[in-house]
Amino acid sequence: MPVLASVLGVFDITLDKLSDGELWLAQFFRGLSDGATYASVALALVMIYKSTGFINFAQGSLALLGVYLAYVLSVEQGLPVAVAVVCAMAASSAVAMLVERVLIRPFPPDHALPLVIVTLGLLLIIDSAVGIVWGFRTRSLPSMFPSGAPIEWGIAQLTWRTIGNLGTVFAVVGLLYLLLSRTKAGLAFRAVSSNLESARLVGIRVGPTLGFGWALAAAIGTLGGALVVPDLLLEPSIMLRVLIFSLAAAALGGLDSLVGAVIGGLAVGLARNLLVTFLDLSELALATAVAVILVVLLVRPTGLFGSARVERV
Amino acid sequence: MRAMGVVAAGSRRHRRRQIIGWALFAAVAVLIPFLIADTYSPTILGNRYTVGLGNLSQSIALMVAILGLNIATGYSGQLSLGHSFFVGSGAYLTAVLVNEFHWSYLATLGVVVPGLFGFGVLFGLPALRIQGLYLGLLTFAVAAVFPSLIRLDEVADRTGGSNGLLIDSDLTPPTWAPLDATAGWLHAIPGVGSRVPDGLTGRQEEAVYKYFLLVMVAMVCFWLVRNIVAGRVGRALVAIRDNELGAAANGVNLAAYKTLSFGISAAVGGVAGTMLTMHSGFVGPDEFGFSMAILLIVGLIVGGAGTLHGAVAGGLAIQFVPHWSSQTQTLPGTDVALEGPYGTAILGGLWSAISSALPGGAAHWFRRIKARLMPVAPQPPGS
Repeated sequence: MPVLASVLGVFDITLDKLSDGELWLAQFFRGLSDGATYASVALALVMIYKSTGFINFAQGSLALLGVYLAYVLSVEQGLPVAVAVVCAMAASSAVAMLVERVLIRPFPPDHALPLVIVTLGLLLIIDSAVGIVWGFRTRSLPSMFPSGAPIEWGIAQLTWRTIGNLGTVFAVVGLLYLLLSRTKAGLAFRAVSSNLESARLVGIRVGPTLGFGWALAAAIGTLGGALVVPDLLLEPSIMLRVLIFSLAAAALGGLDSLVGAVIGGLAVGLARNLLVTFLDLSELALATAVAVILVVLLVRPTGLFGSARVERV
Repeated sequence: MRAMGVVAAGSRRHRRRQIIGWALFAAVAVLIPFLIADTYSPTILGNRYTVGLGNLSQSIALMVAILGLNIATGYSGQLSLGHSFFVGSGAYLTAVLVNEFHWSYLATLGVVVPGLFGFGVLFGLPALRIQGLYLGLLTFAVAAVFPSLIRLDEVADRTGGSNGLLIDSDLTPPTWAPLDATAGWLHAIPGVGSRVPDGLTGRQEEAVYKYFLLVMVAMVCFWLVRNIVAGRVGRALVAIRDNELGAAANGVNLAAYKTLSFGISAAVGGVAGTMLTMHSGFVGPDEFGFSMAILLIVGLIVGGAGTLHGAVAGGLAIQFVPHWSSQTQTLPGTDVALEGPYGTAILGGLWSAISSALPGGAAHWFRRIKARLMPVAPQPPGS
């Protein structure tokens, strides 16, 4: 046991901190809440990856735009927050479809590298446009869910917001699953994501299907943004920080798996909160997330739920 | 423009044309620091843009950084978005060695190159298993971690933590370097000479000296990398990029060459870090965060992945395009002032526009123009 004690000593862990059940639970709940927000942006990234095979770095920015619209509608125009968020989701879907049509579709789909730069450029344009229009003052957006906590356990509180965030993410995954597996549009989407050329040959209109994927992704991302913002404050660089954790979550879960995005998001949220608290690594929040992903990817190179690529020679 | 006659590759005329090309390049490289020793600042459509020697020197360091990234990503196809990690490590290694052990800048390369090579090989080991975008995302996250590692309490007294490190050793030109005199001669040339100051101040002399030092280091790097990619190793790397299974079937040891490519890539990146430290005399943690990682990959793609010219074009692009974007203060051609982060928006627009206009990167575009104007007929080997 002296060995264990000295190892723990390196990380500045005291045993009573480890045995503090309330602290565990409190951090567990916070991890779930953070994780739900990462998961929803990760879901959007996965949707784009499934349809186009690349990472849309502007995903966070489209969400940022949506959240600012939600802010204008709810705080300035006085609409209920939930209604404002739904309107913002619709608006950012429209922007995403426009972006897909104007900036993305002219490129040959198998040539992803220039597209990555285009989405990076888009990230800069949208983020600075938001800064130009709304300035850099921080604002607060009210949550869609009531405040307060139905379950309390000392300092550990399971708040309505945490429950709401988790519920929203699971509902989104459920609806997406139904949409993709039970509807004609979903079938077309899956055909395009499985093989674009074959899908075109059997008469699926590939362009509108991809546009539909982008719209869906932007809506999900905006919803995710609306979940994040009440915890942090609304300012133009907020989604950039979320984006890094969501990218990590998507890689962890497997880039082409919706379930993986949710599990990955929750895992990153939990890893971040628990490891940081108990190993006293506040400066290393991101580094711990990276270490977790590295280990997982070494064991499973395509993430936890990603499908392995089979190559024909 | 009418194309010149077709020239056979390897013929005497081709050789002569190549020599003339290189001589022109060398002349421009020597003249430029004197021409912009006083910052050149043209006014275009109502906005004043500057081209300083400092910007140019920094872009030379960035060219080398992109050159390193090019080996792992451009030649062997391993998507690495974490190259800024190597550049930052090189920069900090140099800074600490110069500050605490009073080494000369160039001597630190003796530690930076082997150290970063070993580090890159270690970094390449996970890349044997993790591929494609997964590798890209992982390396991107690693790049984002670098500033927080530098700020760790355990190393903060060495690295300066958030404040960064100011390096107390100056790069002063040696007394034998005839920089001042050269400026005097150039000034005497009628026409162009009027742009060159008659004699350099101490500061200008230092800047010009740094420029030549960086050009020298960069040329050595480019020459070494050219030899690597034109030889056996380079062919193996390109074979891996184009078809891994095919390469393995032809006897390329995938594990060895992939880790080697990360090793070389990191070593060159480390040299770029040393160059950045030489240039600015300062290292700070946030310079080497994920924004630099993104900038380097942008430079690689905009310049042209898998080409040496591409690294030069990319280095210039990622230095000057953001610089000029931020200097656009009024709507071009009007008096309407642009307030707020318009520079970033212009930058984003330019990146999107450039990569739409030049899908293969500037190097491929340059190559096409050159092939149109000065066609060279390839000769079968042995003829």
